[in-house]
Amino acid sequence: MTEPDRTDTQYPRYRSHYRPRTRNGWIAVVGFLAFFALTQPPFVHTLANRIAPTVFGMPFLYVYLLIIYVALIGILIWAQRKGV
Amino acid sequence: MEAWVIATSLIFTYLIITMLLGVVANRRLSVDLEDFLLYGRKAGFVVLYLTVVATYHSAFAFLGSGGFFYTHGIGFWDAGAWTVLVGAITYVLGSRIWALGKRFKYITPADMLADFYESETVRVVVAIVSVLFTILYIQVQAQGLGYILEVASGGRIPFELGTLILLVVAAGYLVAGGLRAVYWTDVVQGIWMYAAVWIGALVLAFKLFGGPLDLWRQVAVERPDLLTLPGPQGFFTPGMWFGFVVVLSFGIVFQPHIMIRYNTAISGRTIKWLGATTPIYLMTLYIPAALVGLGGALAMPGLDNPDIIFPELLLTHAPAWLTGTILAGATAAAMSTLDSILHSNMTVLTRDVYQRYVSRDANQAHYILMGRVFVVVLLGIGYLLSIKTFEFLVVVVALSGAGALQLMPAILGVCFPTRRLVTRAGVLAGIATGLIVLYLTLVVSSHPLTLHGGVWSLLANFAVTAVVSRFTRPPSARTVRRIHGEIERYVYGPPPSATAAVSARDTA
Repeated sequence: MTEPDRTDTQYPRYRSHYRPRTRNGWIAVVGFLAFFALTQPPFVHTLANRIAPTVFGMPFLYVYLLIIYVALIGILIWAQRKGV
Repeated sequence: MEAWVIATSLIFTYLIITMLLGVVANRRLSVDLEDFLLYGRKAGFVVLYLTVVATYHSAFAFLGSGGFFYTHGIGFWDAGAWTVLVGAITYVLGSRIWALGKRFKYITPADMLADFYESETVRVVVAIVSVLFTILYIQVQAQGLGYILEVASGGRIPFELGTLILLVVAAGYLVAGGLRAVYWTDVVQGIWMYAAVWIGALVLAFKLFGGPLDLWRQVAVERPDLLTLPGPQGFFTPGMWFGFVVVLSFGIVFQPHIMIRYNTAISGRTIKWLGATTPIYLMTLYIPAALVGLGGALAMPGLDNPDIIFPELLLTHAPAWLTGTILAGATAAAMSTLDSILHSNMTVLTRDVYQRYVSRDANQAHYILMGRVFVVVLLGIGYLLSIKTFEFLVVVVALSGAGALQLMPAILGVCFPTRRLVTRAGVLAGIATGLIVLYLTLVVSSHPLTLHGGVWSLLANFAVTAVVSRFTRPPSARTVRRIHGEIERYVYGPPPSATAAVSARDTA
């Protein structure tokens, strides 16, 4: 760890890293957050919280979440392939 | 041959394989602290992938998750959300941690945070939080191991002895081969545990119900309360659902045994691929766990300790060779996490405490020796903790995760440059507040307003960090330029002016 230099007061100003700077970056972040929101309350405790209609005998809630989880993984892989 | 002999023999065969890997790793070890602690920063995708997933999934994935599905039903499928989030965190944050570690030779999380916040106090606090909360994890894994061996041997190897044997083996190969031994054994463990959970669950589903789809149909008819939220006991309220996602994603990633792994990657690209693909393994491991837990609720209702549902079903319904193979997989799940925690705690104690405050200028061999001594000490502490209590596994995991979660504002302040800087005083005040609120909302009044205590503590931590950072001195401009500048360059490339200057120079 280096000693703090208090005479140097010129702070660099970087654009926030919480905001994407490319089109693909925006697509990945918004897509991921939108799908992820579907796995959280209130969606999962209201709209998706049901057994019927079943899919091959599996309850709706289980299949609903499985599909979204797969979609989220798909977004991550897409982001990596696009160099986000 | 009796079933317990086959089961126990298979587990010991597995243990011998891990010890042999430790011996081979020892022959490859050079007298270099980075080689011993960080695999020489040379871990490729396959090795890193399997060690991360094997480390993330512990005895809890094998025992606790089945028990949770058994008790609370489909609500535990929330696990898919937090494992996917772990991938996203690794993708975005892990690659930045790797970039800083590579550039500034960081080994532990405390190295990075102390450097940015220009504070030895931050180093000590982070080291204490790292070690304190992961020691609880040693207890969980050791208890799981002792239990597995006790069950496999039909009670002939008592819990205390089983725990000791497996702790000694894990510590043995770690001492012999350092992180290389841990990574090589994790490769075996990662493959073994995944195959074991899937094969065990499918065999049980076909044998007891005629197949996984028939199992689901039967659960829908006989126990529909297990297939909706918040579950039979009302556990998975919206607040708990969200809380588990936060605590078991960020909370686990910020534990030192995962964060140190980011520093071992051979490239940033490896980390990004890791983030994009680890959820495939992590999430799909809970598919068979659901079959075990929900099927078990029909086939074997009324268990006092639901954590034992998987081994109990195997011992009752599966052939001995298969039970042994699968219990060896459960041993692998616990050991792969245990060895990583022993390693990370050893690394923190050697690097952040001993090398910093006790002996600054010793040679590499001396620090490696001290690391080995720390492993033996941790083994003793872990053993004592593990034979004292036997709590419901997931509660302890949640407490451990929520502790490391308190590092979140500090880590984001380093890895995500913004106009508003987080300060040393803000970080320390935030961590202190977060830990106090965590104690209040997990121990004194558990999960107020049905929102997980970890989320309450994190909210308080963020609020205090933000407020205190507004009114206290930030890190020096030089440090901010050095560290945030490195992040800016890594993520977005050199600034246009620098690029233009280089191209003008090249043209000239």
